Amino acid sequence: MEKVTDLTPVARPKTAAPWSRKSPQFVLYASLASIVPAAVALGTIALTGMDFMAALFIVFLPLQIVAAALVGITVYGRRGILEGLLVVATIFLSSFVFVLLGSVIWSVISNGFSALSASFIFQNNYYIQPKTSLEFGGVGHSILGSLLIVGLSTIVTVPLGLATAVYLTETQGKSKGIIRTLLQAMSGLPSVVSGLFIYAMFIASGITTYAGWTGSLALIPLMLPTVARVTEEALRLVPVELRNGALALGAPAWRAFVQVTLPAAKSGIVTAILLGVARVIGETAPLVLTTFAADRTNLNPFEGAMGSLPTYLFNYIAFGFDESIQRAWGAALVILILVAILFISARVASRTRTKARK
Amino acid sequence: MSVNAPSEKIERRKLATKPFARADRIFFAVSTAAAYSSFVIIALILIFLVGRAIPAFQTQGIIDFAFGSTWDSAATPATFQLGPMLWGSILISLIGVVIAVPLAISIAYFIEFMAHKTLAKIVTTIVDLLAAIPSIVLGLWGAFVFSPIAAGWAKMLNQSMGWIPIFDNPEQNFLRSPFIAGIVVAVMIVPIIASITREIFSQMDRDIINASLALGGNRESTFRKVILPTAAGGVIGGVLLGLGRALGETVAVLYVLNISFDINWGSVLQAKGGSVASMIISKFGEANPDEISALMAAGLVLFVFTLIINSIASYIVAKAQPWRK
Repeated sequence: MEKVTDLTPVARPKTAAPWSRKSPQFVLYASLASIVPAAVALGTIALTGMDFMAALFIVFLPLQIVAAALVGITVYGRRGILEGLLVVATIFLSSFVFVLLGSVIWSVISNGFSALSASFIFQNNYYIQPKTSLEFGGVGHSILGSLLIVGLSTIVTVPLGLATAVYLTETQGKSKGIIRTLLQAMSGLPSVVSGLFIYAMFIASGITTYAGWTGSLALIPLMLPTVARVTEEALRLVPVELRNGALALGAPAWRAFVQVTLPAAKSGIVTAILLGVARVIGETAPLVLTTFAADRTNLNPFEGAMGSLPTYLFNYIAFGFDESIQRAWGAALVILILVAILFISARVASRTRTKARK
Repeated sequence: MSVNAPSEKIERRKLATKPFARADRIFFAVSTAAAYSSFVIIALILIFLVGRAIPAFQTQGIIDFAFGSTWDSAATPATFQLGPMLWGSILISLIGVVIAVPLAISIAYFIEFMAHKTLAKIVTTIVDLLAAIPSIVLGLWGAFVFSPIAAGWAKMLNQSMGWIPIFDNPEQNFLRSPFIAGIVVAVMIVPIIASITREIFSQMDRDIINASLALGGNRESTFRKVILPTAAGGVIGGVLLGLGRALGETVAVLYVLNISFDINWGSVLQAKGGSVASMIISKFGEANPDEISALMAAGLVLFVFTLIINSIASYIVAKAQPWRK
């Protein structure tokens, strides 16, 4: 082949595809760069019996960085080194988070599963000592208590959050900005402060002794921001034309809201409620300060101490015996299952919304 | 002149922006009242905490209470001073933020600019799931699963870089240190920072990114010179929100930290540290009335601290998204 190249702008190699993101050459290099370091690291582990973490940090990571930098150089020239670094850092750090999450979920499932049984879920904790074996007693009273306490605070918080979201989306109020900032700031309210507040307001002042409803009150400031903000997003997604259409037909604002906007945003509001409940169902500090952990089933949130899952967990970790830690893992698994159910329902609810809109 | 005179008498028609109907007025009044309820809640918290905290402030003195380093309810007179806890909270939150920020930003970058759409959706769900794990479950995991592993890391750090004062640890006990508490806190705040950063990234003007790529920029230079400067405001706001959450973290820290009133200025690997929130819950059970008042005062300090940080953060986040009105 002759070495005369035509340098006019129109002539380019037939295989060139500048509009395509990845040239075949790049794909080859990239796959080499992602396979070789992993293979070398696995080989080192297999051959020398090196510790996995050590192999990860001493063999795999430096090799991967060098490989990515080499690919960067071949694709972009010298400044491609940083490009390679960025890609490796992003993927490595992201997967680190997944490993952490996986470790949390796996340890709860593997440790908690052996504690889980019908009696653990349905029985209460009366007559049970911290060292009693796992065949007796369970978290039944705590599950009921958690549901009652969280249910009561949901009944109060949801209308409040919904009305706040209405103020933020449907009215011409002047202090929207401040309210939104305040809600955002409230979402970072330390949970222990919320518990101290209710303790100071009702229990220290002698209005009541420890009871379920004080726990419900302590959860309200923690739940309100989530419910209000997710509802606001849901209401914002309702097209303005719908609202204006209703108003133009002569409907008063409240009817336009109740009969047009609210049905349109229904699934979004369900999502908001579920996320709010998921946010508070595991809150421990406020309940430790406001509801005394009881061992008996108590179905009246307005009188007497009431057990709940987080306080059960809190007590049994504190006991520190093997059996009690085993129970704590079981209770943690129950909480995690509840959270997962709420979370998946929220996902399903929001998915039906997106489908309906298409 | 005379032509204009009668027109002044004609009453201008007003465009109604206020509701006439009684039902509507009630509707708007209810929603306004609900919106102001968040004001009321914050105000009530302040009033009741201040009310209960005043005795402690009077007997201890505000300066001594905040910066002294003794906590003894049995002494006469009982001394309650918060210094080591306050500093410990700040130290742990800083460690948490330093670890969480790179993780959160890389996840946000991965979701928005690198991953395929399906993968991005899955990753977003996973991050949301991480946010939904209750802190006590993380505390249990931190105490029984993660602490031994992290203690190994701490030992490695100490052996390789022990000559730096912050990694010094003469006792060679690596459990229950601020370092481990910081990592557990980081796990808690990664989803918060990541979701805000992702939101800011997703609302960025795609044209400037494409322009940067068209001018020959690669991923790295686009990220460093276009994406980060544009998104900086929102990212900083998200980091501050995470910081506020880290300061208020209670039960997760309680199980992985040895709470000690012997102040630890920065030897992060030593098994002594402090956290205002965890201290409150650990002392509350067997506190006498004087101590309860001091704990209320500690709660008040924590509340004011986090409220200020969170308000600044939400203001910054709101400013960084001017298109949201």
